[in-house]
Amino acid sequence: MSEKEKQYPRFRIGARIEHILLLTSFTILAVTGLPQRFAETTIGFNMINWMGGIETVRIVHRYAAFLLVFGAIYHMMTTAYRFFVKRERMVMAPNFKDIQDVKDFVLFNLGIEDEHPKMYKFNFGEKLEYWAVVWGTGVMIITGLFLLDPVATTSILPGELIPAALAAHGWEAILAVSAVVLWHFYNVLIKKFNPSMWTGKLPYDQMEEEHYLELERLEAGGSPWPELDRPVLARRRRMFVIASLIFGGLLLAVAVWAFTFEETAITTVPRITREVFVPLATPIP
Amino acid sequence: MGSRIEKHRHKFLWLILSFVILSIFGVFLLSPAAAENGGALINNDQLIAISLIQEEEGIGYPPDDMACRLCHADTDQEIVFPSGESNPVIVDFETLDSSAHGGLTGPGLACTECHQAADYQFPHEDLGMADFREYEIERSAVCERCHLQTHLTSHPGDDSETPIVCTDCHGSHEVITSDQWQVGEGTSVCVDCHISLEVGIDDPVQLTQIIRDGLFTPEVDSQYCLSCHRQPGLTFTFENGDEISITIDEEDFLNSVHGDDNPWQPLECTNCHGRDTYPHGPVGAGSEREYTLERYRFCAECHERHYEHTIDSVHGRALEEGNMEAAVCTDCHGAHDTVTPNVPRERISETCRQCHSGIFDEYKNSIHGEALLQDSNPDVPTCIDCHGVHDIDDPTTAQARNRSPELCSGCHADENLMAQYDISTDVFDTYVADFHGTTVTLFEYQDPNLETNKAVCYDCHGVHNIKQPDDPDAGIKVNLLETCRQCHPDASENFPDAWTSHFKPSLEHNPMVFLVDTFYEIFIPLTLGFFAFLIATDIYRRVRVRFRVRIKKND
Repeated sequence: MSEKEKQYPRFRIGARIEHILLLTSFTILAVTGLPQRFAETTIGFNMINWMGGIETVRIVHRYAAFLLVFGAIYHMMTTAYRFFVKRERMVMAPNFKDIQDVKDFVLFNLGIEDEHPKMYKFNFGEKLEYWAVVWGTGVMIITGLFLLDPVATTSILPGELIPAALAAHGWEAILAVSAVVLWHFYNVLIKKFNPSMWTGKLPYDQMEEEHYLELERLEAGGSPWPELDRPVLARRRRMFVIASLIFGGLLLAVAVWAFTFEETAITTVPRITREVFVPLATPIP
Repeated sequence: MGSRIEKHRHKFLWLILSFVILSIFGVFLLSPAAAENGGALINNDQLIAISLIQEEEGIGYPPDDMACRLCHADTDQEIVFPSGESNPVIVDFETLDSSAHGGLTGPGLACTECHQAADYQFPHEDLGMADFREYEIERSAVCERCHLQTHLTSHPGDDSETPIVCTDCHGSHEVITSDQWQVGEGTSVCVDCHISLEVGIDDPVQLTQIIRDGLFTPEVDSQYCLSCHRQPGLTFTFENGDEISITIDEEDFLNSVHGDDNPWQPLECTNCHGRDTYPHGPVGAGSEREYTLERYRFCAECHERHYEHTIDSVHGRALEEGNMEAAVCTDCHGAHDTVTPNVPRERISETCRQCHSGIFDEYKNSIHGEALLQDSNPDVPTCIDCHGVHDIDDPTTAQARNRSPELCSGCHADENLMAQYDISTDVFDTYVADFHGTTVTLFEYQDPNLETNKAVCYDCHGVHNIKQPDDPDAGIKVNLLETCRQCHPDASENFPDAWTSHFKPSLEHNPMVFLVDTFYEIFIPLTLGFFAFLIATDIYRRVRVRFRVRIKKND
């Protein structure tokens, strides 16, 4: 195996499952959601009808939303696991170097600087995307729940929050989808296919360009993921399993509750019966 | 008849001569016959003449009036009925000859054409009539042998207890011609009777006109019909006891859309009623309503399109399902007094009120109803603007509900119209942009079976009783929460604010929505712009690198 064809570990199976979970729910949400945002357009209108009508689309959207919420909870659990149990470095946290990297990246592209910025395991673009997903998912879940339970929401919060949430939900969807299409698709599909979310590995040349410092660390014999002593790990894991079962279970229960508890409106508007034929006693001439 | 006398004059003279001779021998022989005939009713000369005539022409057929005239022209005999009444048998032949039936003026009838030969053989037998009236009635029956179209139905016929028969008006031997009736010669007969019986017509001049225009008109036109039907107080009773006025207000009729006084197509009575000349045929309908339902179909002769629409309308279907009360053309438009249905505009809703007074009472106090009925406002909807005119659809269907917002928007999204009243035209767009409106107006609009639970305009604003939103008593703003709770029973006080009240978001109305919109309107282009910038520089570099590589290879 030549140096160029060598593959470097990047994502373990858990991260890849999370990605598939996100990809699935995000796609369904976008496909069922954006046409609702643009229902007055021909495309939006027809898409909804093709997908089985507005009521079906709304239900599908809610199931996909639940999948997203489930994914979010799962991600919080795994993050907590890595933070509390494995005590990994917070490699996703943005820092000053990222800003520097953006500047260098642009200058390099323009030919002003000679070297591509050297970056760690997660470069500025990936961090941007990650935090965009965190932000976006947060906004979507919160506003979505407001819209799902408007009566409950307004029993505590001001009523105007509902139309504001609806507006934010729509705008954020536009932002998220366009960001994914523009930034994510460009970086992982168009520029050069990035197989790491599927194979877990990235070839040398992509590592070199995008994650030079990580490549260097791995080449120097560094472990891709921090390793811990088995007894220590076992002890912490025991604690974590108990905590996560309680906390995760609670979160999941709240999610299920939030998705199902409110009967916002009556299902059938009652028919008003009127006596229609009431002839005048003396007809008007 | 005079000609017959001329013709027989020579015979006549000869007979007189013979008679003188024969009388010497036959006086005793003939005396029993004279006695049999009730004594000296006729003289011997007459008797002999009759016998001779009978001999010549054959027994059983008095040849003509000759024989009758021999005796009846000059006699003071009377016929006495069992009732004690008596009637002179003398006939004024001069009057008869100049009557309608006399040879001087018309074809001329022989006496026997009315006094049937079979019954009037000489010597005359007992008539077998109890009284003079019975005799009159019996005699009048023969008029119908020639006058097939008698107008007996106008008076009680001979099967009535108090019959009025032809001769009562026309007389017997002095019948006058139709021309004379038309100039009023005979009408005194009618007037005398009608005054004494206190029934109807008592104005000789008017009666004359009826007779001239009605009974003897060569063609049936409206004037023909009106000559009777303009008389006040005429009624007709159907089998079931329904009594209707059959008096037509001539002025209303002529002023109606079908009247001569209008620029539209004038109609004659007969256009709808057929050439129903007097006397009228029997009325098939058993009740007033049956008659209406039979008759209104004639409207379709000219108004086919409207008729077809009505057949398919909610009224037409109700009728088909057996609801006899369901409105047909004439119920709304009237029959004889058909006016322009939408002038004045209030008339439209007043028309519907005839049957839908309950709904009308709601409507009249609404913002629309008040404007229409009090100010005759030309813009507010009347009943038909929402419900349609002839093709009125069932307003209770799911489809009608789903399409109702578009109906309201027909006016409320019309900027020119709304500007006059300072009403926002954003109402429809903001409704469509909202969850309720998007669902109903876009997706459920076409579905005739989908019972939506999303609010449409009238769920909040009311149907017929729509008030101004800020009406102090019944406006929607008085208690919006109550309105919301109709569908959202658990709604709290904050809930109504979740509705944007048809305002496009601004700092004044729905500022939170406005700020969210503004934030994203700035944030999204910035974010995407930033990404696009990075991508653009990246592409620039890649293209440059590839280009340089090629150059190197070429080198």
